[in-house]
Amino acid sequence: MSNSARLVRRHFLIVVALLSVFTAITSAQDWIRTGTGLGVERVRLAAADFKASNSDPGNVNLLKTFNDVLWNDLDNAGIFDLVSKSFYPLQEPGQPSEINFSAWNSPPPNTSMLAFGNLGVAGGKVTVQGWLYDVKNEKSPQVLGKQYSDNATNDAVRVIAHRFADEIIFRLGGGVNGIAETKIYFVSERTGHKEIWMMDYDGANQQQVTHLGSISLSPRISPDGSRLAFSAINKGGWEIMMYSFDLNRIVAFPRFGGMNLSPSWSPDGKIAFSSSRNGYPNIFVIDPSGGNSHRLTEGKGPDVSPSWNRKTGSQIAFVSGRTGLPQIYTMESDGTNLQRLTDQGYAVSPNWSPNGQFLTLSWMRKYGGGEPGSNDLYLMDIASKQWVQLTHDAGRNDFPCWSPDGRHIVFQSHRTGSDQIFSMLADGSNVKQLTFKGANTQPNWSWK
Amino acid sequence: MAASADTGIEMYDADIYSEHAQLRRPLAWSFGLHVAFAAFVVLYATYMQGFRGSGWGSGGTGDAMGATLVSSVPLPANPEQTTNVLATESKGLSKSQPAVEEKQPEAIPIPDKNTKVKPKPVISATKRKAEPEPPETNQIPYGEGGPVSGPYTMTAGGAKGGFGFTGSGGDFGSRYAWYVEAVQRKVTENWLKYEVDPGIREASRVYLTFDIGRDGHPSNIQMEQPSNVPSLNQSALRALQRIDTFGPLPSDYSGGKVSVEFWFDYKR
Repeated sequence: MSNSARLVRRHFLIVVALLSVFTAITSAQDWIRTGTGLGVERVRLAAADFKASNSDPGNVNLLKTFNDVLWNDLDNAGIFDLVSKSFYPLQEPGQPSEINFSAWNSPPPNTSMLAFGNLGVAGGKVTVQGWLYDVKNEKSPQVLGKQYSDNATNDAVRVIAHRFADEIIFRLGGGVNGIAETKIYFVSERTGHKEIWMMDYDGANQQQVTHLGSISLSPRISPDGSRLAFSAINKGGWEIMMYSFDLNRIVAFPRFGGMNLSPSWSPDGKIAFSSSRNGYPNIFVIDPSGGNSHRLTEGKGPDVSPSWNRKTGSQIAFVSGRTGLPQIYTMESDGTNLQRLTDQGYAVSPNWSPNGQFLTLSWMRKYGGGEPGSNDLYLMDIASKQWVQLTHDAGRNDFPCWSPDGRHIVFQSHRTGSDQIFSMLADGSNVKQLTFKGANTQPNWSWK
Repeated sequence: MAASADTGIEMYDADIYSEHAQLRRPLAWSFGLHVAFAAFVVLYATYMQGFRGSGWGSGGTGDAMGATLVSSVPLPANPEQTTNVLATESKGLSKSQPAVEEKQPEAIPIPDKNTKVKPKPVISATKRKAEPEPPETNQIPYGEGGPVSGPYTMTAGGAKGGFGFTGSGGDFGSRYAWYVEAVQRKVTENWLKYEVDPGIREASRVYLTFDIGRDGHPSNIQMEQPSNVPSLNQSALRALQRIDTFGPLPSDYSGGKVSVEFWFDYKR
């Protein structure tokens, strides 16, 4: 055999060997075969109180904060059937070696998942170890194991609890990030002026953002969370203002003349807003710096309250009174393909869901003399125009806004006798009041 | 009677006085009868003792009802507090699986009330592994009564479904059942049945296949076997297309992707 023939044969053998290895790898592919109708239920989850990992006296308060925050976050997630603590075994684990599987995976707790761990303070630092175990699967139980360390303060422990909760929600919720670290921006009158405030998603840590001493409305946080657009009245009238969280102050932004209201961010950072610079309120779009302004709607309108499709950024919903009472319309982001979504009553405050599939709106379906209509929140499927009523017999409800996980809605309601901020699951259940001081309105949920 | 208001008081006095006179005779009769009754009682108690039943108060005979001292009633003995009442106080849950509930007191003893009982060691996860393992075919590692080692089928609310694992890799479903359930939950949530032609009452099963990469994104979505209803096929495809991610594959899973066969059953 010649050298060239040997060389060809050697190369051929190498190729065959590589192919066989590749085939072996691909044939080892795991398959899942599953389908619909298998009884999709919420994940049954137990969250054992974290235990102290040392005897430092500072553990007590921090443990209480951590356990309370973690429990509330998991309870608010909307995807768990959280097992009541009264069903838990007396010996709760602080680390994996302390788990008694049979005590958790059979009644009374009968849980599928167990979150547990420990917390300890040492040298001014707090260290938290947390685990998530599939206790029905003793052979391979660990789903998640995390360790956090930070300054031993209540605020830091709150953040750690939020992060651990979000990790659990991310794993068990099909890759959707939790909202425990998200923020809600809103208008509050508690100082005597309508200023922009912010708070954690659960109503904690309420802080004032603007101090203009006039009237500030319609806060809208940018997709990256670095800037806040809002409308405020000043010497020139109603203008779009911009607050920078990087600089912690209001930054310069172009003034357009006329009445400029209700800004809305697109996923790529453009801003749509209502402006009457040409005489009638119409929808305009500008780039993040305020330049390149162009008008999307025409006519007397008035056209207000634009809301971008948060998934695609290719559509805008808005409110128009062009036919009389305000109704919800949609159009492409270049102003074409105008469509009317509501055909009766008084419909305002559209807000697009993160998956681009739904709109929430505030709708008084029966409006006018002799029509005792109520101001309720509705969910409308864009494609089918089918709608679902979310609030019932609970005062005036307005300004719904989706959470970034698409599972929650924050809104303003007068059900307690004053305007306050509430949150609920997107099916209208699990309503929780978030603000209590003064009058609080127009909430806006951060993008992440 | 009174002819005027001024004389009324005097006339009432006269009436009361006259009634005293009328009661004198009945009062005398009443006194006499009371005295006679008292005398009868005294005489009966003195001379008639022999007529009392001997069994009176001692479970006696005849027609008299029996009675016994309270101290002799067999009261239940003081229950020994050896079980964890709080942990087992669930009528609804424990009734359905009584055998499992019986193990509870052993697993979670109350230390301060079991001083006379030799405490049994808490079974740790590592020691449990040393015990003989139950047969693989009967294991249900995740979900109460949930299928893992299928094929498995069930019917619920008019919709049928199935569940099972095959392939040479083999154990993804048993190791990461929580992930499989998340996939199933997410696809089902994103399947909008109103997209199916409302005139259709029942259709044959639609089979789709797709891959899930390490980052959780679905790819290579294919219609493996369509049904006889085009709108059902489209709704199934759209359900998958709406999903951006199922979440990253478990970090300790060595494979680069997982292939999924998902079926949709439709019945109105």
